[in-house]
Amino acid sequence: MYLSPVIRTFSLLIQLVAQSGGDPRSPGIAVEARLAGRWGISVGDTIAIAAEAAGPAQQRVVEAIYRGRADPATALRGELAVRFHLADLANLLGAPDRVDRIGVAVRPGIGPDSAAARINQIGFGFRAYPSATIASESSQTFLVVSRFHQAIGFIAIVASAVFLLCIMLLKVEERRLDAAVMRMIGLARRTVFLAFLLEATLLASVGAALGAALAYLATVLTNLFYQRKFETTLVFAHLTPDIVLLAAALSLVLGIGAGALAAARLLGATPLALWRRA
Amino acid sequence: MIGRWAARNAVRHPIRTGLVVLGIAVASALLLDMTMLSGGMERSFENMLLSRGFQIRMSPKGTLPFDTEATVAGVTPIVAALRSDPAIAAAGAAVGIPVHVRKADSLVTLVGYGVDPKGQGFYQVLEGSDLAPGDSAGMLVGAPAAARLGWRLGDTVRLLGRLDPQSAEAGIERLMTVRAVVRWLYDSRDQLSVGGPYRVVRAMGRFVDPDPGSMIMIKVREGHDVDSVATRLAARYPGVQVNSVAALVRQFRNRLVYFQQLSLILATISLVVAVLLVATILAITVNERLGEVAVLRAIGVTRARLVGLVLIEAAAVTAVGTGLGIGLGLVTAGWLDDILTSFPGLPAAISFFVPEPAAMFRATTVMIGAGLGAAGYPAWLAARAPIALTLRSEAE
Amino acid sequence: MAHSSVVIEARNLAKQYSINAAVVSALRGVDLRIDRGEYLAILGPSGSGKSTMLQLLGGLDHPSSGTVRLLGTDLADLNDRELTRFRLTTIGFVFQRFHLLPVLTAVENVELPMAEAGRPRGQRLARARELLGYVGLASRAQHRATELSGGEMQRVAIARALANEPALILADEPTGELDQATGGQILELFDRLHRDGATIVVVTHDEHLAARAGRQVRMLDGRIDSDTHG
Repeated sequence: MYLSPVIRTFSLLIQLVAQSGGDPRSPGIAVEARLAGRWGISVGDTIAIAAEAAGPAQQRVVEAIYRGRADPATALRGELAVRFHLADLANLLGAPDRVDRIGVAVRPGIGPDSAAARINQIGFGFRAYPSATIASESSQTFLVVSRFHQAIGFIAIVASAVFLLCIMLLKVEERRLDAAVMRMIGLARRTVFLAFLLEATLLASVGAALGAALAYLATVLTNLFYQRKFETTLVFAHLTPDIVLLAAALSLVLGIGAGALAAARLLGATPLALWRRA
Repeated sequence: MIGRWAARNAVRHPIRTGLVVLGIAVASALLLDMTMLSGGMERSFENMLLSRGFQIRMSPKGTLPFDTEATVAGVTPIVAALRSDPAIAAAGAAVGIPVHVRKADSLVTLVGYGVDPKGQGFYQVLEGSDLAPGDSAGMLVGAPAAARLGWRLGDTVRLLGRLDPQSAEAGIERLMTVRAVVRWLYDSRDQLSVGGPYRVVRAMGRFVDPDPGSMIMIKVREGHDVDSVATRLAARYPGVQVNSVAALVRQFRNRLVYFQQLSLILATISLVVAVLLVATILAITVNERLGEVAVLRAIGVTRARLVGLVLIEAAAVTAVGTGLGIGLGLVTAGWLDDILTSFPGLPAAISFFVPEPAAMFRATTVMIGAGLGAAGYPAWLAARAPIALTLRSEAE
Repeated sequence: MAHSSVVIEARNLAKQYSINAAVVSALRGVDLRIDRGEYLAILGPSGSGKSTMLQLLGGLDHPSSGTVRLLGTDLADLNDRELTRFRLTTIGFVFQRFHLLPVLTAVENVELPMAEAGRPRGQRLARARELLGYVGLASRAQHRATELSGGEMQRVAIARALANEPALILADEPTGELDQATGGQILELFDRLHRDGATIVVVTHDEHLAARAGRQVRMLDGRIDSDTHG
């Protein structure tokens, strides 16, 4: 059985988390590594703890220092935790035999939905939810953030597309004289166009590769920065092969497309006109 | 005359200029959105809290108002004492409980607020009239609840309270008449809420504390300092959390660190894109026109004037792009706001992107400044062009 | 001190360029004096230093050593702003490739130096039209530079050079880009300018043009090889 966050706020804003099992007569606690590190707490130390800022303090011995599981829902809040034996915390809070949540593991072969429905039929004063429902509800926030990131990504892609088109246009414009000479010495329009297309492909490929390297570097730096800032092992930025492929494909399509457009526009003119405008 | 030369040059390559303007427009749109995002939610939160002019909240220790089912015990004497305080213009308690109504065969659960119209800071009457003193059967309905349940002014509704979770039998029932459709300021989007007289609604809930209240709102009299009143009240009521709006905004700001950093990063990226675009295009354009620049220098145009022209061209292109970008930014901000305000439980009154003139002015100024900064190198190229050497290479 | 009739006095003029690691001497100690109303042609093969000489005389470049005095003013004493102003008001340039501003019309190209000098719009427009009439292009005033033929462009360039009534006209290969007939028209224009009292220095390798000038200076390897003035 697991008792989950029973929240009472200390004057020092410590979050108390109770853990079942162990000997309730032994008033030991486990302190989260970040809290231990910040306050210099070691195993064996005795610390005073109170449920209310003005309430009476009680002595507890630190039995363990633990590292909490990286949880995106709580990592950014910067809350620090101490774990108690369940009965000990309930007594400390003056609410014996009272819990916020009860975790239930069903036997193999039994569906969590039907188990939850059955508990709700017979239970009194509480409601049971399958873990999947709670996970889906609590992930709503992250789904919203993910949609927001996609929207921002779309705007960024539009901005890069315009930038790329601009650069490619200039790059091809720069080749006006070369195009004029090539056309005047008898090269077919198609040959010159293909030459420009090849150049655009090369540029887009090199740019995409450099972009992927830059993105990898940015990912490493982002993770380093935020993992330090929030003292967590959570991964904040994750560069997956899918993302690299999508970005490379977009760069190539946009780069080559922009190069082709610009080249087609340039080669629409006669060689003499190109020469005069060069 | 030279201005005419610069102006005609700007439209000499319409596709190129168009693309630069478009690029700057997209970058400025992103910059504006990020400028709005960086402070918008905080300001929107502050506006929401101050929308009825109540600058101080008293709530159960360790919670935000209506954050948990925790209550403040003994609110009646506290409110009476607050109302007699010369520094306080108005004070009122509120309580929140679950209430229910039957609709066809199903049971609909709503949030029920017990309010004191004499000192309430968390609803606005949209239609109808507020609860009158002594009206014990009047009810205020939030717009989403009115729409969902088809209630109109004057309808009588049976509210159920203290519901037995097993039998679904109500421990208490009250017949209430809809007096007004209101906007509950702290409700999330589509939240179903109703309100009634404080004592009536409180009687329908289950409470451990005697004389409970979820929150007390306080309006400080003009000429009195809000923070010092809050400090005084905190000392007088140590068992209760006293927060000024400014303090709540400060706490809220800490929760927004992600959006602040994201907006900073994306705003920086948009500026870098704009700077690269302007610098690259102008550098290439100046290089293309270096011959003309050398001729202008030869016939007596000063360096300062050429630098000025390049800067004006950059400013003009950036200003046009930014002008378009502001419009585009407002459209995309609406889109992004729709996404972010779908956060579960977020009060509907909160916006992430608040279109304030200050944000638009800041984004425009920063973007034009960046455009001018980006023109620095091309301007230097124009100013430093060696006349003789350039003319010689042009002649070859 | 320069005599009042002296327009240009160059003494011991030298110019060296660094090309990659090598140093090239374009001019090696040239002395030259040009009086008011003179029509002087500087001739010489490619690389003889004639264009460099013209650029130094016009204040477009700085000599490595030596001095150029224009109307008694040592160009080295002027800062960039003063030198620019000096070019605007005192010198008219005509270039081989015309160098008109393509986005401006013929009349606007001629107006440009006057606008820079701060002349009122009405006055400069009248003068620009008068100058275009002088070079025979009154009917082409509203045409953009790109719509004119080579000879027409050069005539507009000459009108532009005359805009601020300069004390000196410097022309670098003014017929170099033109066919013989069109070049002939330009030469006639220079003759007319000379008759009207202008001081003209023309750099050319065109013997016909040089023959029409009152004085010929021949250059070779950065030095004056001969000067008909003695």
